[in-house]
Formats: sequence, structure tokens, C-alpha cells
Amino acid sequence: MSARERILARVRAASHHGVPAPAPFVSGPGRGDFAAFAERLEAAGGEARGPFAASALGSRVAELCREWGAGARVLASEAALGWIGAGPWQPVPRETDPHSLADVSVAILCGALGVAENGAVGLDGREARPRALPILCERLILLLDTSRIVSDMNAALAGLPDGALAHHHFTFVAGPSKTADIEGMLVLGAHGPRALAVFGIHA
Amino acid sequence: MSAGLDRRALAVLPDGERRSAHDAAVFNLREKRDQAGRAEPDFERLREHARALKAHALDHLDLLLERFEENASRAGAVVHWAEDAPALNRIVHQLLESRGARRVVKSKSMLTEECGLNPYLESRGVEVVDTDLGERIVQLASEPPSHIIMPAIHRSREDIGALFHRELDVPPGETDPVRLTEAARRHLRSCFLGADAAITGANFAVAESGTLVVVTNEGNADLGMSLPGLHVACLGLEKLIPGLADLAVLLRLLARSATGQPISVYTSLVNGPRPGAELHIVLVDNGRTRLLADERHRRALGCIRCGACLNTCPVYRRAGGHAYGFAIPGPIGLVLAPALGGTEEQRGLPLASTLCGSCTAVCPVKIDLHEQLISWRASDVPRGLRERLLSRFAAACLSSPALYALAGLALRAAWPVLSRRWPGNPAGPWLASRELPTHPGASFRARWRDRVRGAGP
Amino acid sequence: MPELAAQRPSVALFIPCYVDQLAPEVGLATATVLERLGCEVGFDAGQTCCGQPFVTSGARREAVRLARAHVERFAGADAVVCPSASCVATVRRRYADLIGEARAWRLASRTFELGEFIVSRLGTSDVGACFPHRVALLESCHGLRELELGRASERLDPEPSRIGVTETLLRGVSGLELRPVSRRDECCGFGGAFSFGFPELSARIGRDKLRALSESGAEYVTGTDVSCLLHLEGLRAREGFGPRAIHLAEILASGAGR
Repeated sequence: MSARERILARVRAASHHGVPAPAPFVSGPGRGDFAAFAERLEAAGGEARGPFAASALGSRVAELCREWGAGARVLASEAALGWIGAGPWQPVPRETDPHSLADVSVAILCGALGVAENGAVGLDGREARPRALPILCERLILLLDTSRIVSDMNAALAGLPDGALAHHHFTFVAGPSKTADIEGMLVLGAHGPRALAVFGIHA
Repeated sequence: MSAGLDRRALAVLPDGERRSAHDAAVFNLREKRDQAGRAEPDFERLREHARALKAHALDHLDLLLERFEENASRAGAVVHWAEDAPALNRIVHQLLESRGARRVVKSKSMLTEECGLNPYLESRGVEVVDTDLGERIVQLASEPPSHIIMPAIHRSREDIGALFHRELDVPPGETDPVRLTEAARRHLRSCFLGADAAITGANFAVAESGTLVVVTNEGNADLGMSLPGLHVACLGLEKLIPGLADLAVLLRLLARSATGQPISVYTSLVNGPRPGAELHIVLVDNGRTRLLADERHRRALGCIRCGACLNTCPVYRRAGGHAYGFAIPGPIGLVLAPALGGTEEQRGLPLASTLCGSCTAVCPVKIDLHEQLISWRASDVPRGLRERLLSRFAAACLSSPALYALAGLALRAAWPVLSRRWPGNPAGPWLASRELPTHPGASFRARWRDRVRGAGP
Repeated sequence: MPELAAQRPSVALFIPCYVDQLAPEVGLATATVLERLGCEVGFDAGQTCCGQPFVTSGARREAVRLARAHVERFAGADAVVCPSASCVATVRRRYADLIGEARAWRLASRTFELGEFIVSRLGTSDVGACFPHRVALLESCHGLRELELGRASERLDPEPSRIGVTETLLRGVSGLELRPVSRRDECCGFGGAFSFGFPELSARIGRDKLRALSESGAEYVTGTDVSCLLHLEGLRAREGFGPRAIHLAEILASGAGR
């Protein structure tokens, strides 16, 4: 008998299959608009901009990169480039070794959905490629179609995009990286990006 | 026995500023939890739902484990099973060694604390860097974490500055948390970039999709999962939940209960390895199946490791995590120690509580923590012969009105003696910091008798 | 629930063992208040102890024995009133587990803490007392979380704010100024055997409580549990600061009517 079999045998003996699952949880009324989402994002130390019409997006994003004094290396995903067009950024090199991304000052990616109750943006594994890009960069910009904002996590997890879990990971990002490990004092930019800005798009 | 905790509290958090700073910093998390809960109208309904879904999950754990293994494997992960701490440590070491991994980055995992993974690996030549800032601080200070969520909450900025000066070349006298965090960021980035492997825990494991869920505020787990070619995730069996709908409910409760945030910054749903990399998942028993079989106490396996019970506990806040002598401190630690701890002292931990019930009131999955303590006291806590005899004697005195009256007389007669300090005085522990009440005079029943006869007040 | 006699409700006093022995004035005050409110008060001298210390220490056999004796002793009572929230909590919340019998549940439904009896059963919040002092309330852990005498601060459900019965009664006392206390329902650190088994921690928690009570500006601290009050009073006597402890019953019995 392997460890697996011994463990499962003990678990089986204690699993009586008598306790029913609760009825599906029904959330109370919630807001799914960009303003509500922005409020939560800002409370988490992030920045919400817009919503902008698609045509205005490129210049707005460029504006922020300038405000941030972005260094030389600003990378945008293919999907993001589809929204913002040409500007002071480069496409993510194909087949990139993630270790080479340590000097990226700004990464620009597209969010798959937004969650109004907590200001989180869902990042699909197909978009965050390499996976390290949105965490190694100094600052992160996420573009979010405002029609993809849902009210809470119940709605978000019930409505993940097709295939979201078939590409290694799906990550909810709610603000810049932070820690309060020193005397409970909040500090932004622990390991991941020091700043996060979400641009709402009126598609 | 667990008076060890009482003594250690004195050493861990000496009186004065450090103790009140610890108490205030931790209670602040409780207050944040209250605010966050009040701002979320669904909160109490979410708690009830979470209780019910955990009860259901634990009762179907065999099916969930099998389903999870199947789905995770299909996504490309390799699933291992560890019966106990030595098995976990061996499996992880084997995986590292076979791939020549010598430098490892690790994100927070109370399970690996419980199993002593770090010392095991380090003694075999593996360099393990704990990457959560709080965990890195305690690692550099060669001590265990003292809180589930804020491992270094017992340390002042001066302590940390001195530590970073010694270990990370930070200028002497630096105490600004922003600059200290910056120094840690630079240092840990180089660790991430140079790592051969990453070890993480997992907050949840979703059976229906074979998904691991890893939650952090810092992003350290994500950095670990996105750079080295090998990711080893260790989790206890009890982390299994049926589906994404259950995950949603628990995520809405976790960060609110832990720190008062509506969600942590990074919530990663991990399905299989990154392209070109490996994912190994180790499912760990280490006493959990024994606890699962214990009908009365299995509820404690519903814990989602939020730390809310620690934050509200008057004892934890004034003793500090290191005083407990068990991998997990606070009320949940007291409840798990008899089942998962090995020593006699750990089995005695359920005594270390005033039973105020605040922990039960804040638990997001509604574990009846203080009731569990009472139940453990009746079933498993070791009681010495002297204590048992004393208990029987006291009960005997109280069972007969005549004996009770006699005992009352004896108590009165002995009062002056009890009120003074001498070695062996049973009132000694009281007198160490309190005065006894003044001599009580006649008992209530004596005065009532007089009153009824018209001779008293 | 038996209907209380319209004229003179009959009350069986349940006086905890440690009140009987160490704070008899609390028992007398309890009787005084109830009589003043028109109750017929009796005391069965055969009662001893509800068994709480044995329940909480895990001495189950002894606990069952004392619980049975207590249930039998009070079997015939219409209403049992006790000046101790923790003892009432033992009867109402623990007896069902110790004695799985109907009479245990019946007794549980007829056992009340003094304040809740006056407010919920007698339907009054003014007992004619006069106590012109600044008073802080020590919220009892058992009273709040087991008996729900008031609303514990951990509760987050959007329920309209409800003032607890103890506070309601205190606000009805002439001249009494109730002072708010920070961390109002944090434990005082007594915890029964905890105060002996973990004396250092018990004292730390108690001293912090004493400081919070002192900062409220109160001259007196009151509550529903003598045990907690003795712990705080003992600390006050040793430390030399803090409000004096007085039981709720004593406050309610003071001022001999208006």
C-alpha cells in the first residue's frame, strides 16, 4: 500500500458523505460600475483613470508613462498594443526568458475582467506572458473594458473567460504590491510593482 | 504544564512598551476586520455559507482529493502524497536534489513551519530564502514566525533596522519602514532571479478544476512561481474545496478577516505548470486524517488561516506567538495542538484560554473555537493525579450541603493564612499580582437565615 | 415558558458558591432589588454549586454530578434568578450537553441573570435606585457572547443598534453617569482557573483593563459577574489605581426607592 492509498483509506473512513452542500450563495445587490471599482482600487493604493473612449487611450497611457518618468524599457502585450497603438513602448519579445525582464520599468497589459467589490483585475495566463512580466516590472498599467466589470468575486469566478484555467494561471491583481510587515506600517512595492494604474475603456 | 506559556510570555514580550506595541498592532487588525465586515452587507451570510461548505467539504474529502488529483494531473502537475512531516521533507528534498536545485525561494506556508522543512533542507545543503518580508525578517533573526499573517509583528523597526544592517548592508540606524522595505526588495529580487526552485504553500485547492490558489499581498509567491523552472506546492489535506463558487465565498472572507482588506493584492489560481516548467504538488496528512476522524473536533480543519482569532485574543496579544511552543499560535493553535502537536505540553495548550469566546465570534468559517477548547479539556488534556484528586475532593464538598457548609467554615478560618504569601500557598498565583478580597464575614446563606428570622438586613 | 404570576412573581434565588462565600452582600442586594420590584423571593439553602469550574476544566464526571444536583434542586421553580452571567450561561448553554434530559432544558428556559430578568421578564428598566456616581460597565464575556445580554462588538450584521440589558438598567439609575470604555468588551483576564494557571497573563490582561476603566474617568466599575469584579478589585488594591468594583445588584439596590 502506498502512502497515497493509506491516506485515502483513512480519509474514506472519515468521509461519511452525509453533510449536504449549502444552496448556492446569492450575493446581495452590488454595483458593477467603473466608479465603484475605481473607489476600491484607489483604497488599495492603485490608480483608476478614465473611462476613456478607445481612440483616446493611447495618448492617455503615454501621458501616464511620462508622469511616471518611465525608464527606457516599457513593454506592452499584443492585446494592449491593439488598444493603444504605437507609442513610447515596445512589444513583449517573443520567447522571452523571464529573468531578462528585471529592468522593465512599465508593463502594459489587458485585464480580462474587473471586480467592483475589491478593485481587482483578472489577468489571464494567455495575456500575462511571460508570467513574470506583470510582477517584475516596476510599475504596471492594466487596460480594462468597463463592460467586463462584475460586482463581486462570486460573479467573477462564475464568469471566468472560456479557457481561463487552461493556461497555467489566472491571477486577480488588486493594487500595487504591498506589505505591512514592519510594525504594521503600509509600504507599497514590496516585491511586485510599486504602482498600478487601471485605464477603463468605453469600448 | 502550559504554565510554560505563562512563563515564556514574560520572556517573549517583556512588560512595557514592546508588549503594548504588540498588543496595539495586533488589535488594530481586529478593528480593521470589524470595519471591513461592516462595509460588506453580505458578510454574516458569507460566514454561514463558509461554515456549511467547509462542513460539506470535510465530509466528502475523499472524493475531493481524488478529483483534485485527477484534474491537477491532467493540467500537467505531478501530485505526491506525504503521510507525515518526515515524508514531506523527504519528498521536497528529493525533488530539489534530483534537479540540482540548491537555491530555493519560499513563500509563506504554515504547513512547512509545522513540518520543519527549512531546517531539514538547510542541513542538506539547500539554501532556502523565505521571501515574505515578515518571514525573511524572522529567518534572518533565526526565529519562527510569531503570527500567521504578520510573522514579524513582535519586532520593532529598530530591531529590523539593526538586523538589516547586519545582514543586508543597510546603513546603521536606519529605521524607516519604506527604506527598509526597499532594501529587502532589492535583496530578495536577486534571490528570486537566482533561484533554482520555488516552494509555496496553497491557501485552497479546488477539486473541480485541479486548481491551486495562492494568496499574497507582496507578490512574492507569484515571483517565485514565474521565474525558476521548478515549483513545489505543499498543502494540508484540509485545504480542498469543491469548486470555484466555494472559492469565491472564502476569498470574500479571507482578507477581510485577516487584515480588513476586501481582497489581498495577488490571488493566483494556478492550473498546471508554466510552459517549459514543472509543478509538483504535495498533499500532506501529518495528523489531519486523525483529526478528521474525530467527530467532535474535525471542525477545526475548516480553518482558512486568516489569523482573525489571533488578532482578537487577549491572551495572544499579550503573550506573543513565540510563547506558545507550537507552529501555530493563538486560539486555532490551541485547538489544533492536541491533534497535530506531539508533546505533552502541546496537548495541554487548550488550558491557555479565558474562554472569552471572542475568537468564535470572529472566525470566518464559524469554528466554535472556545467550545472546542472546553471539549479538549474534557477529553485529551493531560491532568495530573494531584489535580484529578483535588477536583474530586472539591466536587465531593460541593455535592453535600453539609460538607459545603463545613468547607465554607474552613475557608473562613484559613482566610488570614491564605491572604499571606508563603511557598505552597494555593492562593499564591492570585497573590502574585492581586490582593485577596477582605475577609468575607458571614456567608450569604447565614445572613439570609438571619434575615428571614427578622434578625438581619 | 410559564406565565409569571400577575401579582407576585415567585423567584428562586440561585446564589453562586463564590458569591455565597466571598461576596454575600451581592446576594442580599439581589434579593432586595427583586423584593422591591414585587417578587416573592425564596432561597433554597440546599443549593451549592452549578458546576461551572468543573465544566470548564474538563472534569466531566464531576460536572455532571453537580449539574444533576442543581437541576433537581431547582426543579420546581417558576423562575430562577442569579447575579452571575457565567453561572447562568453554564445552566443555559452547557447543561443540555451534560444532562440530555427534558428537565435540564426546562430549567435552562427558566434561569435568568438578574438584569435580564428585570428588563425582559418584569418589563421594567427603572428599579427606583439612586447611585450618583460615574460608573463604567465591565461587559461580561459570558453575558455578551453566551447569553447575548448585549451586543458583542464582533457582531457585524446590520441589526439596529441594541443597548444591552445591563446598560439599560444602569441608565435607569438616578444620578448615575455611565462612562464609555475603550475596548468595552475585551475580556478582563480572569477566566476562572486561568487566573491561577496563567497568573502572569491574567494579570497583564487585567491591568490593561484596569487602565482602560481608569481612563474612562469612572469612580466605580460594575458588571454581572462577581468573579471578574474580584479580579479587578484585587488588581486595584495591589496597583493603587482604578475604579472600585461594585456589583450590578448593589447599585440597583442602592438609594432605597424614590
